[in-house]
Amino acid sequence: MTATTTTAQRPSATDRTVTARVLAVEVLDELRGIIREPTAWVFSVAMPVGFFILFLSMFGDEPLAGRQAGTSMLATLGTFGVLAVTLMNPGIGVAEDRERGWLRAKRVSAVPLPVTLAAKVAAAVPYALGVLAAMTVAAAAMGALDAPLGTVARVAAVLVVGALPFALLSLAIGFRVGANAAAAILNAFLLPAAVASGLWMPLESLPDVLSRIAVYLPTYHLSQLAFAQLNGGGWIDHALVLVAFAALAAVAAAVSYRSSRP
Amino acid sequence: MTTTPTTTRATRPRAAPGGPVLEVSGLEHRYGQTIALAGVDLRVQPGECVALLGPNGAGKTTLVNAAIGLQPVQRGRVRVAGDDPRRAATRRRLGVVQQTVGFPRTLKVGELVRGAAVRAGLHPRAAEPVLAEVGLGDLVDRRAGKLSGGQQQRLQLAMALVGDPGLLVLDEPTVGLDITSRRAFWTTLGARRDRGTAVLLTTHQIDEAAAVADRVVLLDRGRVLAADRPSALIDLLPDRTISARTRLPDGQLRQHLAGQPFSRDGELLTLATSQAEDTVRRLLAADADLSDLRVEGASLEQAMVALMDRAREEASA
Repeated sequence: MTATTTTAQRPSATDRTVTARVLAVEVLDELRGIIREPTAWVFSVAMPVGFFILFLSMFGDEPLAGRQAGTSMLATLGTFGVLAVTLMNPGIGVAEDRERGWLRAKRVSAVPLPVTLAAKVAAAVPYALGVLAAMTVAAAAMGALDAPLGTVARVAAVLVVGALPFALLSLAIGFRVGANAAAAILNAFLLPAAVASGLWMPLESLPDVLSRIAVYLPTYHLSQLAFAQLNGGGWIDHALVLVAFAALAAVAAAVSYRSSRP
Repeated sequence: MTTTPTTTRATRPRAAPGGPVLEVSGLEHRYGQTIALAGVDLRVQPGECVALLGPNGAGKTTLVNAAIGLQPVQRGRVRVAGDDPRRAATRRRLGVVQQTVGFPRTLKVGELVRGAAVRAGLHPRAAEPVLAEVGLGDLVDRRAGKLSGGQQQRLQLAMALVGDPGLLVLDEPTVGLDITSRRAFWTTLGARRDRGTAVLLTTHQIDEAAAVADRVVLLDRGRVLAADRPSALIDLLPDRTISARTRLPDGQLRQHLAGQPFSRDGELLTLATSQAEDTVRRLLAADADLSDLRVEGASLEQAMVALMDRAREEASA
């Protein structure tokens, strides 16, 4: 009896071309899914932007961390807005695809799983940028934007790149549980973490215990990394924490994926 | 569903000339201590329809997963059109229709089939003739979540066919479909088979398998018990079932039937025999008022059960 050689073969140029086209189709499908799903708009766009406008109208022109609060909130509520997309959508999406057999159908049709997953994460990026753009426009419209657009763009870039490890965590959960459970688990992480990291209200206005907890939360370090773009504060420690978190999330996603394979 | 052939694409690579489109040899697979496949050999030729039958746990799913490249081969060899099905390029020559797939609710029929064309390495335009072929040409802008069960199955078929596959793997493809949808489904596939597409079918609908398959492969506990034409498997069972209405008393019947066992339900007489012609002659000679006489051959299902029973008896002996 002959044992079949199953070693991976290098993809040909044709394979790579097809893969690139497939990635484009997958991203487009994901974007269509987001745009055509009203519930996603409510929870991932309307809620963070709505909170932002609410707090902006209440505290927008007060000073906060060296700038007008309306600008500083781009780092805090902006972090929440970006995470509401990048943490929630990929995990819930992959859990739904698993449940309905769509993920298997894609694997059968020769779509490499990393392409499917990359598409889910990539589709969250323009969505997250849209949330940040809406917040920026709102801050500017209410006279609370006191940072140059280049600085705001840096904040957006940091938030989008810094949110990618959260997408990995999201996938790790999406590979283990069903869509409803994934939504519940991810919300159970995001909402308390947002409060404890000072994403909704400044930590100075909250009980001291939350400040002590915050330093252990990656959500806090992401917001501080964004803050550093606005006020020039130190960023290396926050970046290192996020790199470590990214490594852990990647391992969790890989383990979770392997255990869920048919 | 119409059967308009697609003519806009060049025929994609299938098997080597004269070679099988699917070749499985000595395939073994274990889940821990459980043997799922114990040295399975299978060949499917271009244009051929082979039905994989067997009880739950027979190894059908493991075999199919290996054939479509979803499962690493532990021991043995699997080739699709001469290549390893684990390779993406090989899988693009496969089409798969599952029992059910929950399509994303937000995507439209046309978008899904065009996406399948791109995944198969083709231009999105390749979707148009296939949509017409399966009768979804008027539904391209309808969201998949709003399709009926039959339409969803046609959508799956369109996505499987768009790459002009050399091998089509069907897993319980017509469960839940009405008769019209079933006939349309098999009509479409018939046209594809005429053009050389091979079909590997797994199903529990044995009558359907008997009707559409050129060959039936009976799996049980990871082994191939039989592989032949459905009629050849049925012919393995010598017995025919005879039924008729008669008023003869049991004693006379026993005498005329030369001791063959029979059952009675009022006037209805039923017996199984390997000497159907002789028995019918005896009955007609014994009872001039005999009515509702019927002689029925064995079904593929009965043949399968008999083959499995025989294999189990041999294993336990």
